[in-house]
Amino acid sequence: MKDILTIIFRLTVACLLAGLVMGVAFIATNKAKKHNIHVNEQKVMLSLLGYSAKNPAPETVAMHEVYRYLVGEGEDLAMGYLLPLRDGSFSFVTIDLAGTFVAQAPVAITAEKATEAEERTLAIGAAIGAGKAIRYADQTIVVTNNGKRTAYLLPGRFPGFKTFISAILALDPNFSILGLEIMEHEEDPGLGGEIVQNYFKKQFKGKSLETVKKLEVVKTPLPDEYRKALEAEKNGLGAEEVAGIQEQYKDNDIYALTGATISSRSVTNGVKAMVKKFAYRLAILDRVLVEQHIATSF
Amino acid sequence: MATDKTNLQLVVNGILNENPIFRLVLSMCPAVGISTTVMNGFMLGIAVLFVQVCSSCTIALFKNVIHPRIRIPTYTLTIATWVTVIDMVLAAYLPEAYAKMGIFIKLIVAFAIITMRLEMFASKENINASFWDGIGMGLGFMLGMMALGFVRELLGMGTLLGYDVLGFKPMLFFVLPLAGFFCVGLMMAFFNYIEIVYKRAKRA
Repeated sequence: MKDILTIIFRLTVACLLAGLVMGVAFIATNKAKKHNIHVNEQKVMLSLLGYSAKNPAPETVAMHEVYRYLVGEGEDLAMGYLLPLRDGSFSFVTIDLAGTFVAQAPVAITAEKATEAEERTLAIGAAIGAGKAIRYADQTIVVTNNGKRTAYLLPGRFPGFKTFISAILALDPNFSILGLEIMEHEEDPGLGGEIVQNYFKKQFKGKSLETVKKLEVVKTPLPDEYRKALEAEKNGLGAEEVAGIQEQYKDNDIYALTGATISSRSVTNGVKAMVKKFAYRLAILDRVLVEQHIATSF
Repeated sequence: MATDKTNLQLVVNGILNENPIFRLVLSMCPAVGISTTVMNGFMLGIAVLFVQVCSSCTIALFKNVIHPRIRIPTYTLTIATWVTVIDMVLAAYLPEAYAKMGIFIKLIVAFAIITMRLEMFASKENINASFWDGIGMGLGFMLGMMALGFVRELLGMGTLLGYDVLGFKPMLFFVLPLAGFFCVGLMMAFFNYIEIVYKRAKRA
């Protein structure tokens, strides 16, 4: 009996100590980590839009973040969008699943605070009143240049081979894919991990909504000239040549990675679902915005 | 019981006499799964080195207060704590290295080599000896992984450190996990053979 007590006591102390160490490390590093992630996301988003350190985005380019929520009231479920308005304030627009406008409520929140999930949830909760449960779904970034929409950035998550893959997808106003970047994944190194390589992820570039809807994965080997075009950064192929080859393969299916068909298929299906759902939802949202004369900033 | 080896001997011991991969044959899962390229081997090796040294020192420091019946859970807890701390620190301050190493670091919690070293060495020795033993084991593991990665990358993909040296892929088979076992076995035989030759030469 005495042994049991000592064992319990020592193990508890060990766990508490370990917890303390990890807790301190977490508090000390969390801010820097979040900052890194944010900086990295910004960098990736700009590079997907074709901007880099050498070719910085002009000042007329602006990014408008739209947050989508699921709003539940009793049995009913609806979509809620937190939209930035032209005058700098925010509004929460609720649309039911059939696509009809339900309500609009001004949200008292500043642009800086809107990026923080907790602040956002609190402010929205206060705006729409009690009795409604809201759950964060996803976010979309509408990119405008001189007030005209030039692209949509969709950060998303979809199931991979073992666990979720998070990625950012860039679409042009016609929902053709501008680019895909894998942000986080735990696929097998050397096999499924190859999804981060240009010769895989760049295959999505230029695919139109119509192509994406029917997109499949084929197990034939990647043609050499296509691979060269996809890896143009590495072998210095001319921009025109690359564009020519990409045009030629534009409507083809995705060539699977050797030994990682499941990972290839997961990414393809994930992208497919993201594009299809986004195009559908945006059409509804835009129609509602026009009908209700809501002046958003994008 | 204190070891009578010098610090240098402890390090060399980890690299040669008790090499974790080719002699102790421990942590075979990562050795087989990850050692597809030299760079992967190096990354995982560095991560193991850190965790091994930190855990060894911690256990050597607290060895007198660890109840002998619950030493295994305590070791696991120690390793897991260090893995988590290193994971968080890297993510915060070295995001570029973390992007490459992140996936490997989380794997380390279950490495047999670290637990085994804590049980066999750190729980009996002082901090200084444990520190150098940890360095030796970490380096031994790293060099072993890099040697495996060298063979597998060269034969499987025809590249070294990502640079194309052969221009073609001799045997794609070597990149697959299964080939890791063949590779470990063949290299073990090779090193054993060298040892026999060396001992014979010494005797003569």
